[in-house]
Amino acid sequence: MARLLLIEDDAETAREVRGDLGGRGHVVGWASTGPEGAAYARDEAWDAIILDRMLPGLDGLSVLQDLRRAGNRTPALVLSTLGDVDERIRGLRAGGDDYLAKPFVLAELAARIEALLRRPVDARETILRVGSLEIDLIGGTGRRGARDLGLLPRELKLLEYLMRRPGQVVTRTLLFEEVWNYRFTPKSNLIDVHVGRLRRKLEAVGEPPLIHNVRGIGFTLAPDD
Amino acid sequence: MTDLLRSTTFRWALGIAIWSVLLVLATFSFVYWQTAAYLREELAETLRLEVRAAAADPAATAMRAETWIAMDLHATHFGGLFGPDGKRRSGNLDAVPDGLARDGDAHRVSADLDIAGRALRDEIWAAALSLPDGRTVVIAHDTDEIDRVQATTLRALGLGLMPTLALSGLGGLLLAGRARRRLAATEAAVAQVMRGDLRKRLPVGGGNDEFDRLAGNVNRMLDEIERLLGEVSSVGDAVAHDLRTPLTRLRARLERTREQASSVAEFREAVDQGLAWIDQTLAMVTAVLRIGEIEHGRRCAGFAPVDLAAVVRETAEFYAPVAEDKAVSLDVAVEAGIPPVDGDRDLLFEAVSNLVDNAVKFAPPGGRVRIGLAREVKGVVILVEDTGPGISPAERDHVFQRFYRAERARQTPGNGLGLGLVAAIAKLHGFTVEVRDSPEGGARFAVLWPLGKPRGQEGPRDAGAGGKTAVRVIGEHAR
Repeated sequence: MARLLLIEDDAETAREVRGDLGGRGHVVGWASTGPEGAAYARDEAWDAIILDRMLPGLDGLSVLQDLRRAGNRTPALVLSTLGDVDERIRGLRAGGDDYLAKPFVLAELAARIEALLRRPVDARETILRVGSLEIDLIGGTGRRGARDLGLLPRELKLLEYLMRRPGQVVTRTLLFEEVWNYRFTPKSNLIDVHVGRLRRKLEAVGEPPLIHNVRGIGFTLAPDD
Repeated sequence: MTDLLRSTTFRWALGIAIWSVLLVLATFSFVYWQTAAYLREELAETLRLEVRAAAADPAATAMRAETWIAMDLHATHFGGLFGPDGKRRSGNLDAVPDGLARDGDAHRVSADLDIAGRALRDEIWAAALSLPDGRTVVIAHDTDEIDRVQATTLRALGLGLMPTLALSGLGGLLLAGRARRRLAATEAAVAQVMRGDLRKRLPVGGGNDEFDRLAGNVNRMLDEIERLLGEVSSVGDAVAHDLRTPLTRLRARLERTREQASSVAEFREAVDQGLAWIDQTLAMVTAVLRIGEIEHGRRCAGFAPVDLAAVVRETAEFYAPVAEDKAVSLDVAVEAGIPPVDGDRDLLFEAVSNLVDNAVKFAPPGGRVRIGLAREVKGVVILVEDTGPGISPAERDHVFQRFYRAERARQTPGNGLGLGLVAAIAKLHGFTVEVRDSPEGGARFAVLWPLGKPRGQEGPRDAGAGGKTAVRVIGEHAR
């Protein structure tokens, strides 16, 4: 459970977002204007802030910049209307940690918030273990139990990303952005094909599944022990 | 009247007339000035010679002066011999003119004349010298001759000026009228365009003067406007149409579910289906907006050096599993030493992946897709070819238009925006895209990055031989 602050002027959108994130066990505070949001962000402790780019009274990016200047390091996700691609760069420059274009899928927002809340523990670790799964990033090898998985470089990267976030739902867009390092929305089945391939290598006949499909959203890696 | 003054025709005619008059005036003044100066100098020289000759022999001075006076019957020659007391001894001048220097040179002075007993005062040119015995000899000539030349010149100027003015005015009117008529034709055509008839074009003459070039350029601009408007309206129609279809389906599904669904599972299924349709719709709207955004060049800010070889290789790698699942072989040939291009890495990846996506989609099972990056004579080329049905020559011009889908593509999923996006991205980077038949029967898309000169080449390759070497290397890669 996390305390989240949503700064969003559209009441309907705010209601849906609060309902969805609330349903996932978070406590969501809501401010509908920039100044109000800035005050909330200053006065209370939050685990993450979701803020709309265009806000009445005070622009979302200004709110964020002011917070950062005042030393507030709460992870922030910027929501913006569709169509402005340079917006993303502006949002991140203003101190945003992630960016999501409207219209967005609620599950995508939830997954990204989750990712912000649970930043990978130690990125320096080069040998990762999840259940019976183990990968060696330096050697470029992966094993399940005693069985060598014979992973291709990209599959290793994909698995690394999932293993650094065990139990967390990752969306296709997140995977594409983080594993392939390109930013746009590819045809969804392409990511599924890649994950499917990886899954076939991980899960030999008779072995319990490790990667699970989360319907309509993406994937999650669950430890098998 | 104001209209007349404002009209270009009138102003041109007036300008030409004024200019001609100024030219004529300048010419006349010059001629007059030169002629008068010549005549004056000629007269002065005569007077100088005469007075010196008269003074040379004091005994004959009076006679010489009388001879000078008698040379002319029209009373234009004057002269006189005066005693040391200033009294006249002979001649037709009453006295030595006031202020006349006795230096033998010609001066213009005022003098009292005595012509056949009549005394009168007039302007004359005179030269005087003192004789050794104290007498003074004066030789003079009246100024009328030179004044007459002046009067004649001025009269000639006045007479000549009228026809000049008339002729130049007429010429100006003719020239300006001709320009005016051409402008009027252009104006009429433009007015017709403004009224909404976009197919109207400006008249272009046979010549290649400024008017014709301007009209030609305006016509090309109108062609482009007509094409763009056509595209806008067809995009608008296509968007509306493509939105209506899923929305109609969605509405029907919601309505039916509300009436008939009896379990949560059935509701959930309907909602999932609805979400899928909405996502499809949103994806299309997003794509349309993105094409617009890219076409307006708003993304140039994010340009940075991009390694095209990496982009092409990663696209191929990204599509390899899909191709394999479909039993389509995916060959990649990337030439080494391609310089980095200034561009948007995400967009370039998207463009190449759209081409590869199409190629994999249209290649039949067991078919082949080839992806290549090579330096050719014209520049760097990204090639994507397949062994699919290909694109008929008639359809090639249209495939890059938004929402255009080849007849054969109607059965496959897609929104007809992929190649439109490719074209927009290519244009943003200054690349060109074209489609041909591939030697293996399918479609062959070529994205050309025109390079002025080979640059950024690595290795010991001679830059001067870059073009030819590159072609050979492509050949090697192709095998």
